[in-house]
Amino acid sequence: MVESAGRCALNLLSLSYLLFIPLVWVLTRLVNSVTARPMKARQLLWLAASYLFYATWSLKFLCVLVVSSLVNYALGIYLKRKPTAGRLWVGIGFNLLMLAVFKYLPVWSSHLGQGHHSWLLENVILPVGVSFWTFEALSYLFDIYREEDLDPSLTEFCLYMAFWPTVLSGPVCRMPELLPQFRNPQPTGDDIADGVRRIVLGLFMKTVLSQILGSGLRPGEGVDFGFNQMARGWTGLDVWILAIGFAFQMYFDFAGYSNIVIGTARVFGITLRENFRDPFLSTSPAEFWTRWHMSLSSWIRDYVFMPLATWRPQVWWRHASLVIAMMLFGFWHGADWTYIVWGALQGLLLVSHRQFQQFERRSNLQLPPIVSSLGGWAITFCAMLLSWVVFRANDLHQARLMFHALVHFSSYRHFVLPRNFVLMTVVIAVSYFVIAGLRRLAENMKQSPVVLRIGWALSPVMYSVAVLAIVIMSIHKAVFVYLQF
Amino acid sequence: MTEAINTDSINVDAAKNEAIRQMTDYILKEIVRRPGVEVTPDTPLVSSGLIDSFALVEIFVKLEKLTNRRIPAAKIQPKDMDTISSMFATAERLGKPRQ
Repeated sequence: MVESAGRCALNLLSLSYLLFIPLVWVLTRLVNSVTARPMKARQLLWLAASYLFYATWSLKFLCVLVVSSLVNYALGIYLKRKPTAGRLWVGIGFNLLMLAVFKYLPVWSSHLGQGHHSWLLENVILPVGVSFWTFEALSYLFDIYREEDLDPSLTEFCLYMAFWPTVLSGPVCRMPELLPQFRNPQPTGDDIADGVRRIVLGLFMKTVLSQILGSGLRPGEGVDFGFNQMARGWTGLDVWILAIGFAFQMYFDFAGYSNIVIGTARVFGITLRENFRDPFLSTSPAEFWTRWHMSLSSWIRDYVFMPLATWRPQVWWRHASLVIAMMLFGFWHGADWTYIVWGALQGLLLVSHRQFQQFERRSNLQLPPIVSSLGGWAITFCAMLLSWVVFRANDLHQARLMFHALVHFSSYRHFVLPRNFVLMTVVIAVSYFVIAGLRRLAENMKQSPVVLRIGWALSPVMYSVAVLAIVIMSIHKAVFVYLQF
Repeated sequence: MTEAINTDSINVDAAKNEAIRQMTDYILKEIVRRPGVEVTPDTPLVSSGLIDSFALVEIFVKLEKLTNRRIPAAKIQPKDMDTISSMFATAERLGKPRQ
């Protein structure tokens, strides 16, 4: 079997992790006040903490990470001396090889079955977070090629690759943003308060909302049951409900996780890039991709789409580049046709949206803003839901069966899913839109003393309820969906 | 001699200003197309969310045409294309005149 995590693996949802944060924080304060060279000592302390954190998953994982860090650091020096495309390709080749061997080979070999491939299955490891930190290494090489003024020491580079809040599942960071902060982090009281707030919010989203949607309130309910064990097939209503349930499960899972990561880093005075910004309020597919998994979508935009699309001036090539870039986005999630088809669908959605914009332009069509916003939102939301069906389906055959149910209108007369799950999904989805809408309203009125007073009065109640819910739900074993990528 | 150089530099500046004006016009009329939105050479376009990545490629192609330079896209960072001023500075820094 592919090497899996050790039993004492520190993950961001464990109690031991909640003890790990204050321990490293106190040691950081100590190092800052006691040592003569606090910057170097602090970086070494954080690197040691990061390696310890990662080693709890597996020592073999740590070995791969260290080797990748050392080779990429050397490649950076090599590229900096002469930033040519040839040298950049050496770096790209190395990192793609890393991904091929440690991310895709174990999956491919398991598809090929046993026999003479069994050696691979027994010996190849799948280091957790390899896609995230390999993309960080690649962005560093691209930035060096673009002659960005970067001069990390070996310690700083290793810390950039292994920084414990981000090493497992991002956000995908960039060296120009992190390097100055590694050199001079200045956590203020506000940073710490905001960091703790984000951690609590993230835990609530991850361990309560995502967990409820994924596993349901009782066995035999939830998104996982709906996708994996629906022996009698699905009706059109079932597919829509499952699509909504899975979309929100993914959102609360990954956005919640990102909140924990960003909050942890903020406590130490490090500001990471945001990963989610109310994606389900988007009024176009293009806007959706500036709000969902933002660190990876901006990576694909900057390092794949832009160089590819500007390679040829023709419009058709720009469209093809968009589809290719989104297919790569899908492939990044894993070597499975469902991900690649999902990526292609996203690319086609973006191209269709572009075509509609062109049509608007040519025909001088001016829709009233309310129609344009509401229509855009409804179409985007529904299209995203349908694409998530392909993403989550166990294989393309299952996706085809589910789409088949969608287009047979006679199947809309009833649903097979448990009533509790349907109700819960609808309540969570509606609550999300109400809360997101109210938050936007409050942001617009944040100068108002009444809104501020209401906010202050409600905060302790909301956080107490959130903490209580987290404790109750922690009894169930929380699983992070995005960790598999 | 000095006078000739001055005249040349004035012509270059005038051509550049005209190109910037055309680009501003293009972005306002063809890309943004929203009433009430103002675009100046220093308006952040990408970081403010005013334009998306696809539009950025269209602007990049337009920039190559207006400056008559081939710009290596792989060398460009998002911040290089964030404002009209920075785009033209980037074209001058990285672009190679077309034959």
